[in-house]
Parts: sequence; structure tokens; C-alpha cells
Amino acid sequence: MKKWMRTETFAAWAFMAPGLLIVAVFVLWPIVYGLPLSLTDYSVIGETHYVGVDNYVTAFQDKSFLASLWNSMVYVLIVPIIQIISILMAILVNSRIPLIKAFRAAYYIPVVTSMVAVALMWSWLFSSNGVINYALIQLGVIQEQVGWLSSSSTALYVIMFITMWKGLGYYMMLYLAGLQSIPTDLYEASMIDGASRWQTIYRITIPLLRPHILFCTLISLMGAIRVFDEVFVLTNGKGGPGTATLTSSLYIYQKGLVQFNFGYASALGLIVSVIVGILSILVFRLNKKGGVQTY
Amino acid sequence: MKKKFRSWMSLCLLATLCVSLLSACGSDAKDNEAKDGKVTLKFWTIALQPTFNDYFNGLISEYQKSHPGVTVEWSDYPYDAISNKLLTGIASGNVPDVVNLNTEFANQMASKGALADLGQWMSDDEKKSYFDGIFNSTVFDNKAYALPWYTGTEVLFMNTRLVKQAGLDPTNPPKTRDELNEWSREIKAKTGATGYATTFAARMFPVEGISILNDDKTAAAFNTPATIALIQKMQGLIQEGVLVKEDANFDKQIQYYSSEQTAFEIAGPTFINFIKTSAPDVYKNTIAVPLPTGKADVRLSNTMNVVVPLKSANAEQAAEFAKFLTNATNQTAFAKAANTLPSTKESIKDSFFTENDGTLESEAKVVSAESLDKAVDYMVGVPNAGDVNSAIARQLQEIFMNGKDPQQGLTEAEQEVNQILSQN
Repeated sequence: MKKWMRTETFAAWAFMAPGLLIVAVFVLWPIVYGLPLSLTDYSVIGETHYVGVDNYVTAFQDKSFLASLWNSMVYVLIVPIIQIISILMAILVNSRIPLIKAFRAAYYIPVVTSMVAVALMWSWLFSSNGVINYALIQLGVIQEQVGWLSSSSTALYVIMFITMWKGLGYYMMLYLAGLQSIPTDLYEASMIDGASRWQTIYRITIPLLRPHILFCTLISLMGAIRVFDEVFVLTNGKGGPGTATLTSSLYIYQKGLVQFNFGYASALGLIVSVIVGILSILVFRLNKKGGVQTY
Repeated sequence: MKKKFRSWMSLCLLATLCVSLLSACGSDAKDNEAKDGKVTLKFWTIALQPTFNDYFNGLISEYQKSHPGVTVEWSDYPYDAISNKLLTGIASGNVPDVVNLNTEFANQMASKGALADLGQWMSDDEKKSYFDGIFNSTVFDNKAYALPWYTGTEVLFMNTRLVKQAGLDPTNPPKTRDELNEWSREIKAKTGATGYATTFAARMFPVEGISILNDDKTAAAFNTPATIALIQKMQGLIQEGVLVKEDANFDKQIQYYSSEQTAFEIAGPTFINFIKTSAPDVYKNTIAVPLPTGKADVRLSNTMNVVVPLKSANAEQAAEFAKFLTNATNQTAFAKAANTLPSTKESIKDSFFTENDGTLESEAKVVSAESLDKAVDYMVGVPNAGDVNSAIARQLQEIFMNGKDPQQGLTEAEQEVNQILSQN
């Protein structure tokens, strides 16, 4: 056997090669191919014609697409809320009290539950004759039943709540890992210096969690813009009522895989990708340096 | 030694990957093309295996005996997968010969020029053997792009417990839509249950005699005073509690009826399967009666068809098999096996579709069969029918769910539909 084959580098590349090839074929190639596809009216069946930038022009005149973009931007509002609540939950479960591990498991159960099951369950709870309306009427908060998922003013926020409910445990565990990497002597020193609980969190915990915050914010942002499962299940793939819950991923799905308008769907996908890229750059720019290594 | 083993493992991994990638390459695209006079027909169905294996294996065996040299390969796919499977098949050149599709998807494929005109291989008698409304649902420019297969028409299911509680007589059911709405008001007043749930979609227009598009399908035709009147009437029904204020899909309608939040359900006979085990008490109190028709005097059906893709290598032989599959004799046999309805006129004369043994299933079957002469599948008939349906549905939801002005909603829907049609 040749000498270079016996090196660790070769072994490393050989083990990575299958995964890299799968990523290249099923992820990178479709992304690259999306650009020329977006310049055509490809629909699998029938003739394909080059249409130039017509798909992009149509996209910015398409009221439904613009509505879906708006809904996706509204969806991004849950990102800061999820991060704040997740950090607070992580701080709470990072304590040594009896049964704390049971709490950690309980908060993580929604994460590992199928989104279809979660969405169906919440659709029952939020239905007009559901438990939530019953409880709110009994408490006097509302006087009559509210169509949470059938009203355009509430439907999107209900689905955002479900996304948040399901995702909190995931981010909580990531922040918990970050919290446990913070040296305890920093907290001891702050106690000696007379810092309050909130000062400790604000001056020590948050700055040292910055790398985790950056990572979680980024993946949460991308997840919010690309949200699909819960919207699909709760609205039967329609994004209704009207366009109230129509998100960009759902609309691209409808155009591509329901109406077979792959050229147009590719153009829409590229537009959304550019928006995600811009927002991601903004997140990087806004994030200050931090982390344990800076101390 | 360790290094040598690791290196050999790495090489083996690479080799395995290469072999597996190469083996994923497709086989020859036209492997079902006729060779030496022998033909292999690829026959695809939706969700019929393994329940009906015996029936289809017998049918295929009979056909192969009567058509020496022809072999039928039967494959079955889930409902959600068939469209993608067919598209990828056409794109890769691995085209099936006879495919089972619903009317909506068959129309979509036909409008994009993907299906063969089966009419060129059919006699007039063969065309007339199917119920006219159902057969014409997939006819464009006098070309028949699909053969109707098994179907089901909508009937009115009624919760007799709620009906009796409201002081109404279930043995004398409503005959018109207005009577149905009146019964619903009584039920709402005396039991609290709503009449029925429905989806707010374009398919409500043809039931009331409102055309969606003009005759040459170049412009929207639904923005009329009659449509405004229909919408205002439905708004009134929602306010009165006759209609559920929700764009309720079939699953939601099942939930409402099973929990006795609604007293009626408008659906095909397969609805019974969903309530029989999940709500046995409601099932026991349910009867099926003819659905009152609207102004157009039609009842919407949901038909499964068989089509032959244009790129099939054996189109004529495929059409022959499609005709055999959907002839009256075989449709009668399959309808009995699957508890569905046939779409051939001769089949309905069988006593299986006219005699009621007292069960709900039998009752629904007889009622549904009696509606076949008024049955029509909903279809728009343009390449971007999906866009047209979505545009109308969204505005209807805005009107019914969010209180948008009906005229404004219809006008916006009309503008959007015309813009969609202009792209054809």
C-alpha cells in the first residue's frame, strides 16, 4: 500500500467522503442548479422555455408571495422571545435541586415529539370548542368563543406560539451546555463583590454565552423564515384563512410541488435565500465578541 | 498494523460508496418498449395494495390470457406520492403506461399536454357507457384524456338523535337546500349544534349554477350578482349558526360530526369508515339521505380515473387495458369488492347498488348510486387551475372569516384569476 494511503489525512478524507458526496449531490448541486432553473418555466411535463428574469418580475408583483414574505418576517419576531425564555429556562434548570433532571426531560419532550402530533394536539386545544376557549371564558378573559386558527388576526400568532412551545427545550439544552462551561469561580467572585442575581446574569452569564446566543439566534432565524411543518399541518397546506398564515416555504412548496411550476418556485426560493443571507449577516454584525475564551 | 487496517477500511468505504452510487443510476428508460411483439405495461394505482391484491391479480391474469404477449406489471403508491412519482417518471423517461389519477390531477396533466387522447381508440358506444357528467369532467377540446373508474357522490349524513331532539322527522328529510338550512336553524335553536361544516372554495360555485370561467376559459366569469347573493346568503347562514365559521377540511368535518357539534355532514360513503370506529354512538344514530341539490341540480362526485401518459411507449395497448379495467363488468366487480360506486351506466343496474340491507353502508351506497346521473367532478380545465382555485379560495376565506366586503373580494379574485389566465 502506498505511503500516502497510510496517513491519517487520507483516512479522514475517506471517512468524510460519503457524507461530503451526499451533501454535494443533494444539497449543493440543487442550490447551484436553482439559478439557471429560475430563468426558465420548467414544469417537468411540456416544453421548457427560457424566460429570463420574468419569474423574478412576477414574484415581486405576486400578492400572495409578498404576503408570504411578510408573514415570514413576522415569524422572525419569535426569535428574540425564544432566546430570552430559553436562557432563563436554562438558568433555572442549571440548579441543583431535587428532580431537576425530570424538569429538564419534561421541557425537552416537545422537541422530540413529532410536529404533526404537536400541531394536531394544539389545533384541538385552540379550536372554537376547545379547552383554551373554555378556560378563558370561565376565567372571564373572553366572553365568547374565539376562532384562534380561523381568524386572520390571530392564526399566525397561534402557530408562532406552537413553534415556540416546541423549540424552547432545544435551545434551553444548548444554553444549558453553555452555562455549564462557565467557570464557577467567576460566580463566586461576583458573590464576594456583592453582585445581585440579575447583575450576575447580565454581567457574567450573558457575555459568556454570546457564542451560544449567536449560534442559537442564527439557527432560530433560519428556522423561523423556513417554517413549514406546523403551518402545513394546521392549515391543511393552504396557509389560510386567506393568506394569513401563508409563509414563504409553504408558498414555494405550493408553486413547485403542487402546481409543478418549478422554474417560478426556484426563483422564489432564491429570493428567500438572499433575504436569509442578509439577515444572517446582520446577526453577525450585531453580535459582540464574548465567550469564555475572552475572559 | 493499526495504520494498515485503517487504510484498508478507508479504501473499502470509498469502494462501497462508489458502487452504491453507480447502482442508484436508473435502468434503461425504455425498458418496457415492445420487443419481439411482447409488450410490458406498467400499471400504477393509488393505495389499493394489499387490500385488493386478489382482485387485481385475477383481473391482470384474465387480461394477459386474452392478450398473449402482453404482461401487466402492477405497482401501487400512496395518494400523496403518486403525483411526484409520475412526474419523476416522466422526467427520467421511465414512463408508466396506465396510471390511476384523481380528476384534478388528471386535468392538470391533460392541460399541460402530458396525456394521450384516449378517444381516438374508443367507439361512441364505449364513450357513452360512462355517466356523461363524470366522463366529460376530463374532456377538453373534444378529447377524452381519462377513463372514469370508481367514484362516489356526496350524500347527506344526518345525526337522527339531534334531529329528533329538535322535533324534526328524519324519515322525511329535507329535499332542497333551503329546507336543509331551515332544519339547521331548528337544530341550532333547540340543541345548540350547528348544521354542517364546509370548505370555502370555488367548488361551491358550479353547484349553484355559477360558472367560474367563460366558455373559452380566457377570463373569470364568477363576479356576478348571483355570486354576491350566494355569498351574502352564506354569510347569513354563518351568523345564524347554520354553517360552521371555519374553512373546515374533511378531517375537521369528521371531528365536528363525530363530536356532535354538527348535525349534518355532506360527504361520500367513505365518510362512514371514519365514524364507525371513532364515534360508534354517532354511527348508530346516523342515516344517509339524498343530498339536496343547488340551483344547478348537480351533485359533486369524486372520481378516480385511469390515464395513459403521452410518452408511454405502448399507448394503444395501454388504452386497451384501460378500457378493459374500466368496462362495466370489471367496474361492477371492483365496486362490490371495494364498496365504492362504478362510473358505468350498466353497472348501476346490478341489485348490489339498488337493494338496501338496512346498514348505513348499504343505505349510503344506494343513495349515492341514485345520484350518479346528476354527478359531475369539479374541474376548472386550465393549466394553472391550482392558481385559479387558490385565488378564489383565499378571497372567499377573507370574506367569510374576516368580514371582507363580498364585492371587493370577488373583484380582487376576478382580477387575480384574469392575471393568472393571461399567462397561458
